[in-house]
Amino acid sequence: MPRRVRSTKNLAQRMDLQYFRQAHPLRSWRLWLSILVPVVALGWFAAQRVHSQKIYSSGPLSSAHAVLGRKCDVCHVTTLGFFRAKVRDDACSRCHDAPAHHADQVSFTVSCASCHVEHRGAIRLASTEDSSCTQCHANLSARTGNLPYARVVKDFDKQHPEFAALRPGARDPGQIKLNHYAHLKPNLAGPSGPVQMDCQDCHRLMMRGGSWPYAMAQPASASISEPKSEEVGGAQTANADLKHARTGDYMAPILYVNQCAGCHVKDLQFDRRFDQAAPHDKPEVVQKYLLQKYSDYFASHPRALSEAVAPELILRGNMRLPLPVPHTRQEWIDQQVMLADRVLFDKGCKLCHVMEGEMMEDNAVEGKASLPAIAKSSIPTRWFLHAEFDHNSHRFLTCTACHDRTPESRQTADILLPGIATCRSCHEDGGERQDAANGRCSECHSYHDWTKERPTKGKFTIPQLRAAR
Amino acid sequence: MLFAGLLGARKKVPIWRVGRAQAWMRGHLWLGFLSFPLIVFHSGFRFGVGLTRALMWLCLVVFVSGIVGAILQHFMPRLTTQRIPLETIYEQIGRVRSQLASEAEALVEEACAALAGNVSQATEQQRAASASAGTIGGLTVASGLQVDEGASVELQQFFRREMQPYVAQGGARNMALADRNQSRGMFQQLRLLLPPNLHASIDDLENICEEKRELDQQTLYHRVLHAWLFVHIPASYALLLLGAVHAVMALRY
Repeated sequence: MPRRVRSTKNLAQRMDLQYFRQAHPLRSWRLWLSILVPVVALGWFAAQRVHSQKIYSSGPLSSAHAVLGRKCDVCHVTTLGFFRAKVRDDACSRCHDAPAHHADQVSFTVSCASCHVEHRGAIRLASTEDSSCTQCHANLSARTGNLPYARVVKDFDKQHPEFAALRPGARDPGQIKLNHYAHLKPNLAGPSGPVQMDCQDCHRLMMRGGSWPYAMAQPASASISEPKSEEVGGAQTANADLKHARTGDYMAPILYVNQCAGCHVKDLQFDRRFDQAAPHDKPEVVQKYLLQKYSDYFASHPRALSEAVAPELILRGNMRLPLPVPHTRQEWIDQQVMLADRVLFDKGCKLCHVMEGEMMEDNAVEGKASLPAIAKSSIPTRWFLHAEFDHNSHRFLTCTACHDRTPESRQTADILLPGIATCRSCHEDGGERQDAANGRCSECHSYHDWTKERPTKGKFTIPQLRAAR
Repeated sequence: MLFAGLLGARKKVPIWRVGRAQAWMRGHLWLGFLSFPLIVFHSGFRFGVGLTRALMWLCLVVFVSGIVGAILQHFMPRLTTQRIPLETIYEQIGRVRSQLASEAEALVEEACAALAGNVSQATEQQRAASASAGTIGGLTVASGLQVDEGASVELQQFFRREMQPYVAQGGARNMALADRNQSRGMFQQLRLLLPPNLHASIDDLENICEEKRELDQQTLYHRVLHAWLFVHIPASYALLLLGAVHAVMALRY
């Protein structure tokens, strides 16, 4: 048995009661570290601050603004030398004079930075959060009380109205008689044999070049190939729709010369004596062309007065027969032009166009018909006038994946736009987190009315921007 | 964070009568624990760049070290009490160790003296144990202590080579006496070598070694228990300092 006894009393007697007055290595080390680490941290901060203000940055700038990363004071303008240097709207508008949402904005105008939050890495600044929009659109109010828009829009996949073009009562404003079903049938008579048409033969993104498979083979005359002649088809309207859109993302407008002429040029042929078809143009232009054509023919054919009327010029049931016999050059030309007008305006043009007036019968007898008016084609190139749609981003899909009713559509008035349900099958709130496409407002809608954008003038030189500070 | 930081100040001034120490510690733990998720929300789940990144790393270091510390503080004191029933003040371990070394040396000297027949240096106990020694070779010896110079040398060698370096030196985990089983074996051999009347001294020496082992274990536990503070406290100060800079600059930008 050990003689020495260990007890708390014995232990206590061993203690130096003044021990706490002496520094212990552990305590000393802790103290020194507690001084050293903050000093090192402060030193690091000071060293970083000497080179640039970037040390204060809360995150990398967006890709569009990354070039300004060394020059904080481009955006963080200190007014009157005061301490505060928050980004104000006028700093943004020095480069982007982005107009407000619309003049009738009721409640308030938000600051640029409240929606376009910077220092979040290489994001697209225009891709704002839904909350930026829903702070008003979740319960929209109007100054006048008449609200042309949906009052409650909270998110795309749950509370968003059906697209305006598909709401009850809406119809396709197009005035071209197009039967998609007939055009997509197999063994369609093509320019050089039977063809199976495909959507992309006529509908193609503007950004894509290349030739059209059913374009005019070669211009027969200058008047036929004139693009301005497509005013008949309403291309002006289409261009107006696309004026402020990212036009490369939209389908090219349907033009006779590009998409139709290859097959339908024969519908503008009016007389076997001529190889050329009539120009696809306004009735006045067509009329002028015909006059010129028959005048030239009469000049080169002195026996024209005694020639029988070409059978293809006689539309049975549409005119009073027998036709009067022309005795003079002018009577002959007038009669031939009148007959050609009949062939074209009552048959060729009507195949696709809606005629707004008929040729007067009595005038026809006299050989001078009044020309019909052709309704503007009004084919909408852009259906979503308050939203953007990017066909190019959806190029991995088949056309009928979204436009599923197209192959069976027989009426011009059929609206073949896919509904919101089709979009929602891929676009969800949460986007990538839900293994889905994004359903944020900014995917389709733009806050600013870019039609009112004012040009800005550059203010910086390259060295100014690139110099570190 | 400021409240959590004030715990240090509260500890520096223990007589400061602003709330109980336990309340301060609980506040430190809970507010410190909550501060991290709040900061993560504040940062929008991003680490940022520059100052904000440094702050986030510091915050993470402080948070993780704090959690580790809280866990250790929860379990280690209990473990220490269980395994080291007579723990001493950590700062006094060195002093106690040197006292143990002195005590061991004195014990060995006494034993050696007894083995050398020097009664004057023998302890009362040793003398009492030798009372029945009688005479050797017709001569009445001054003591019944069994004179064995060989054993004395062995004991001294054991003390100089094994025990003294072990007891005097903190840690010494690579030495044979640091292992309880080896130590037991070594002292058992000494008991065989030395006469029974010196076994009590051997027991004392073994007891000293046992105490030294406990001191070493206490040192280890103490270091484990407090090592996180070497990370937590300096990082906290750095965090508070840079956090203040961040707050001021956030007002500017």
